[in-house]
Amino acid sequence: MANKKLAAVVTVYRKYSHAQHIVDRFLDGYGWNGEYHHPPFDLVGLYVDQVGADDLSKERAQRHPAMTIYPTIEGALTLGTGKLAVDGVIFVGEHGTYPKTEKGQVQYPRYPFFKEIVSVYQKSGRSVPLFNDKHLSWKWEWAKEMYDTAKSMGFGLMAGSSLPVTWRIPKYEMPMGARVREAVCVCYGGVDSYDFHGLESIQCMVERRRGGESGVKWLQAYRGPAFWKALADGVWSRDLMTAALCRSHTLTPAREGFNDMMPTVEQMKTLAKDPVAYTYEHHDGLRCTMMLMNGLVKDFNFAARLDNPSKIVSTQLYLPMPDGRTTLATFFSPLAWNMEKLYETGRSPYPIERTLLTTGLTAIGVDSLFAGGVKMETPHLKIHYEAPAASTFERA
Amino acid sequence: MAVTRREFFGFAAGALAMGAERPPIRVAIVTTIYKYLSHGQHIGDRFLIGYPIDGEWHQPNVKVVSLYVDQKPEGDLSSARASEFGFKVYPTIAEALCCGGPKLACDAVLIVGEHGDYPSNDKGQKLYPRYEFLQQCAAVFKASGRSVPVYNDKHLSYSFERAQAMVKTSHEMGFPMLGGSSIPVTWRLPDVEIPLGSHIEDAVMVGEGGSDAMDFHALEGLQCMVERRRGGETGVKAVQMMVGDDVWKALDSGRISKKLLSSALSRSDTPLGLSELDSRPQDLVGDGVLPGLVKQPAAYAIEYRDGFKATMLMLDGAVKDFNFAAMVRGVGNVSTQFLLTPVPNVTYSARLVQKIEQMFMTGKAPYPIERTLLTSGILESCLESKKQGSVRLETPALKVEYRAV
Repeated sequence: MANKKLAAVVTVYRKYSHAQHIVDRFLDGYGWNGEYHHPPFDLVGLYVDQVGADDLSKERAQRHPAMTIYPTIEGALTLGTGKLAVDGVIFVGEHGTYPKTEKGQVQYPRYPFFKEIVSVYQKSGRSVPLFNDKHLSWKWEWAKEMYDTAKSMGFGLMAGSSLPVTWRIPKYEMPMGARVREAVCVCYGGVDSYDFHGLESIQCMVERRRGGESGVKWLQAYRGPAFWKALADGVWSRDLMTAALCRSHTLTPAREGFNDMMPTVEQMKTLAKDPVAYTYEHHDGLRCTMMLMNGLVKDFNFAARLDNPSKIVSTQLYLPMPDGRTTLATFFSPLAWNMEKLYETGRSPYPIERTLLTTGLTAIGVDSLFAGGVKMETPHLKIHYEAPAASTFERA
Repeated sequence: MAVTRREFFGFAAGALAMGAERPPIRVAIVTTIYKYLSHGQHIGDRFLIGYPIDGEWHQPNVKVVSLYVDQKPEGDLSSARASEFGFKVYPTIAEALCCGGPKLACDAVLIVGEHGDYPSNDKGQKLYPRYEFLQQCAAVFKASGRSVPVYNDKHLSYSFERAQAMVKTSHEMGFPMLGGSSIPVTWRLPDVEIPLGSHIEDAVMVGEGGSDAMDFHALEGLQCMVERRRGGETGVKAVQMMVGDDVWKALDSGRISKKLLSSALSRSDTPLGLSELDSRPQDLVGDGVLPGLVKQPAAYAIEYRDGFKATMLMLDGAVKDFNFAAMVRGVGNVSTQFLLTPVPNVTYSARLVQKIEQMFMTGKAPYPIERTLLTSGILESCLESKKQGSVRLETPALKVEYRAV
C-alpha cells in the first residue's frame, strides 16, 4: 500500500524553529524505540510563510525531491491541482517575525492559516487530520472557533506542546482517578510562550484526576514583588514548590563555589528577578500554579499533592534542549510519533480539549498580567473532558 | 549579605532535626583537590549541604569531621568549607582520620582521588594516588583496631594489581568498599534494566571524551548492564583495543554489530556533523557518516571467560553522550541513554552520593566493588593492548567473579 501523503504549512523553516524540528522528523526520520525510524508517510507539499537568509526549506526540498514548495497554503494542500491532494496536514505556526498585540502576544497566524486550510477542505468536500503546533491561537475566540470548526467538520485535530509526551525524570504518570489537591509547575521562559508549556505540563497530569476535567473557574497572575508576596501568603504551597525544584537539573547556585544547592527564598529573589505565576482554580476545587522563574531554573518541574493516601509526587518533564548541550531537540520525537498516530487513525491520541483549555489559560494569564495581576473569572473555560486511560508520555 | 548557617540550610533544617535520632555518622574526606566542580567538591559538598533525591532536599545524617587535600591549587575551597562547616583540614590522611587524635575518630571515609596535577604513565593513565590513599587509611584502621566503610571515587587504581590489592585489603580487614562511576546509577532514558539472569547475546556501549577518564565511565556503563547475564560475572579472558580504520573494518566485518551500534546511537541527543549544523536528525550508521565524523575511533573489545563478547566504542566527533544497546534473548533489543545531566548541578552525582550514604549508614555496599575492580582491569589491559599495537591480550588476572544485585 502506498504511503499516505502529508502537506506541511509553516511560518518559518530555520535551524531550531519548531517547523525544522517537526518537519525534519517526517523527512529524515528519527531515533525511536531503539532504532532509526522512518515515518511511513510521504511529505509532498510545503508552504513556508517567511523565507529568510537562514531558511532551510530549499535545502530540504533539494534533498527530498518528493516534496515541492508551493507559494500558497492552497498549493501545498492541493499540490497545485486545485483539490485537496493529501491525507494529513502538519501546521506549525511558531517562530518567525510577526507583530505583537498591546499585551505583548506574538500574533502568529494560526487562525488565518487554519481558515485557509479548512477552506481547502470545504472546497474539496473532504477533510483530513490536522496537527496544530502549540496553542491554537493567542486569541481565545479564534481558538474556540478553530475547535468548533474541527468538531463540526469532523476532522481529527491535534495540538499542544511536546511537554506532555516527552521523557519524565523519573518516569511518573498520574494514576487515573487520583485525588489531586494541588499542583504546581516550576519552569522558565517568556509570557505567551513557555507559560503555555508549563500549563500543558500541569494539565496533562491533573486531567487524569478523579472526576475528570471540569474546567477552570478563575485565574490570577502575579509578577515581581506580587509573586514573592503570594509565596509568603501561601497562595501556593511552598513544599510543592520545593518538591518541584528538587527535580530540577538546572538550579542556579545561589552562592559562588557551590554547584548544587537549594536556595532560600531570599536567595531566590536575587536569582529570579522577574518571576511570574498563574494561579487558577478548577471547578472541582483543584488549585494549580504555573511559575516562570527565569534565572533560577531552565527546566520544567511538576509537583502535586495527592489525597488518600496523602503524599507529594513530583517529576521533571525533560527537554533535552539544543542550547549547546544537545544538538537535537529530541522531545519532538515523541510528538512526531503521536502525530503519526493522528495521521494513521484520523484521531488525536489525546484530547484537543486539553489544549483548548491551556490556550484559554495562556490568554487569560496574559490578560491578568496586563491588568496588573487582577483575578479574572473564566466562565468560558468550563471545559469538560475525560483523559485517555492509556498514558502517552515517552517510555519506549 | 552574610548568610547564616540556618538560613543557608533553608528547607533542609527540618529534615536535619528529624533525622537526628541517632548520632550523625562522622565522615572524613580524603581528596586530591577541593575546588569548584572537582569531584571532591561536588561529592563532598553534598554531605555538607545535602542534595536532591526522590523529590526532596535530603540532608544526610552525617557530620563531616575532617578533610585531607593532597593539593591546593588556585581556587582551593578546603579552608573555606572547613571554617563554614566546623571541621579541620589536616596535613596528613592519618591525622584527618583521627581528627588529630591518637586513633581513628570517624565512622566512614570518602576518598575522591580525581582531578589535580599528577603525572601520566606511558599508557596515558593519570597516576592518581588512590592506592596510596587507601593504604594509608588501612594503616590507621589497623593501628586503631577498627575499620570503617570506604568510598573510592571512579576506578580503584590505574593499575589492576594495585586495585586488586585494595579490594583484598578491604576483604581482609572486613570493611565495605564502594567505588566506580556515577553512570551505573544515573537516570536511563528509557528507564530499563536487563532482567537478572538474561541470555545476553551481544552488547555495544558508546562513549566519548577521551582516555583515561571518560572511557572508564563508558566501561562502567557497559559492565553494570552485562554483569546481569546468566551465570553471573566470570571475569575477562582477553581484550583488544582497536583504533583508527581497524574500528571501521571491525564494523564492516560484523565483528562489532552495526545494528546494535545503530540502536545505541538512536538514543543519542547529540549527533554531531550535520545535526550540529542545522539540527536535522541523522541515522549515523545507516548514512555511513561515522568515518567522516570520528577522526580517532577506538573500540575496546572484551571477551569474557564465559564466552560472552561485548564492545565499548569511544566515538569522539560522532556524539557527546553515553548510550548502550544489547541483544537479549527472549527480550529483544534493549537500548538506553545514560543521562549525564548538565553542569554545574551534575545531579547524577546526587544519585551516587545516595548510594555512598547508604553504605555509610548500613555498612553494606549497595553493589559489588568487584564491578569496579573488573572495569579498572579492563581499562588498564585495553590501554596496554593499544600500547602493544592493538594486539589481542590474554588477561588471566582478570578472573573477577561476582554476582550482580
